[in-house]
Amino acid sequence: MIKKDIFSKSYWKYACVVFLTYTVIAGFLMPVPALEILHETIRNLYFHVCMWFSMMFILTVSLVYSIRYLNKPNEDYDIIASQTSYVGLAFGILGLITGSLWARYTWGAWWTNDPKLNGAAIALLSYFAYVVLRNAMDDEQKRARISAVYNIFAYVMMITFVMIYPRLKEVDSLHPGNGGNPGFNKYDLDSHMRMVFYPAVIGWLLLCCWVASINIRTERIKRHLQNQ
Amino acid sequence: MNQVLAIIQRELRHELRSRKAWLAIMLYTGSTVYISYLGLQGNTDSAAHNAVFWLLIIFISMFATSGSFAGRESEMFYIYTLVSPGRFILARLIYNGLFLLSVSLLAFICFQFFVGFNDTNLLLFLTALLLTVWGISSLLTMSFSIASKGGGGFTLMAIISFPLLVPLLITAQHLSEMAVNGSDVTGYGGYVAALLALDAMIAALCYLLFPYLWRD
Repeated sequence: MIKKDIFSKSYWKYACVVFLTYTVIAGFLMPVPALEILHETIRNLYFHVCMWFSMMFILTVSLVYSIRYLNKPNEDYDIIASQTSYVGLAFGILGLITGSLWARYTWGAWWTNDPKLNGAAIALLSYFAYVVLRNAMDDEQKRARISAVYNIFAYVMMITFVMIYPRLKEVDSLHPGNGGNPGFNKYDLDSHMRMVFYPAVIGWLLLCCWVASINIRTERIKRHLQNQ
Repeated sequence: MNQVLAIIQRELRHELRSRKAWLAIMLYTGSTVYISYLGLQGNTDSAAHNAVFWLLIIFISMFATSGSFAGRESEMFYIYTLVSPGRFILARLIYNGLFLLSVSLLAFICFQFFVGFNDTNLLLFLTALLLTVWGISSLLTMSFSIASKGGGGFTLMAIISFPLLVPLLITAQHLSEMAVNGSDVTGYGGYVAALLALDAMIAALCYLLFPYLWRD
């Protein structure tokens, strides 16, 4: 039986389309503070930052389902955990691309030795390793259990690193809002940017869930057909 | 506790008995250090020495860990029936930590002999080495358990452990760079605390998650 759940409802998908259409139109056309160096690239806030929010959100979902799987081995939990982490990986890559382009025009380099970039690199590498690990195993239950263990391990290491590292000496980030650089809330005195940023975050989060839900439902059908 | 000690003793005896393994690790350590000495000749930059040293430590640890586990699945099966997974992983972490510590000390001595850091704060450097290698060993023990369950062996272990090693290594590198370039060492406490926190975190994860790998 294929379950009917929130994934098959369509109201939140319409909401996603509305939010993202607004984000793209308002994001490119609404006024932004005129600043040195940043100039119009400040609009990247509506895209780049949202990618990381979405990634962290969906990877947290993946973690929760990995823990639930270890608690009670249910095939559906494994499907959700694996598919959400693939989507998290995809959003991470998008975050890296948007960030890299931005960095090229503001910092002058595609990649810098920045705590946040190191964190991102660790996150992406460990989730690539997760994909490799999953593909190395054929037995479904074993694959589910072992990849759940690895998922929890990788997630906790990543979070620990992201929390600890920026607190150390001499590793200030170049990112706006860190290491003495003002964040966007300092520039955004008239709250114009907030009016786009918050809907953008919601829109991208919904898109992330939408993509994940399609993946999950496809995988459920695949497993269902295999088991017949 | 007795069981933990018994497993450690057993591992130690096994290790000492197989001369081949010991010799292989010593040879690997000696030759990698010597190769890096040849590569670093004339270079007096402490940052470069530091980077090479930590790379050596990773590869030596990988080699040593995989060597000490390989080809022993049938024995493991026997142990499975005797002790609980928590005790087993505890013994494994302690034994492997001590084992890798002695190997990395050997590597450090070789490195000092051939290459040599110019102006070393020995105490600080050894602290960095101790804390980092302890973390590396727990992480590799866990990665190796995951990889061997996944049927991938050494390659899979390398793939899944490298990304997780990065936090440890970045912190270790900052700390040991303070120790070797003769500059002031203020603020080392933060790094030591970070390494301790990472070690504790890894150990806790191993202890909590290992039972799920064990079940078959």
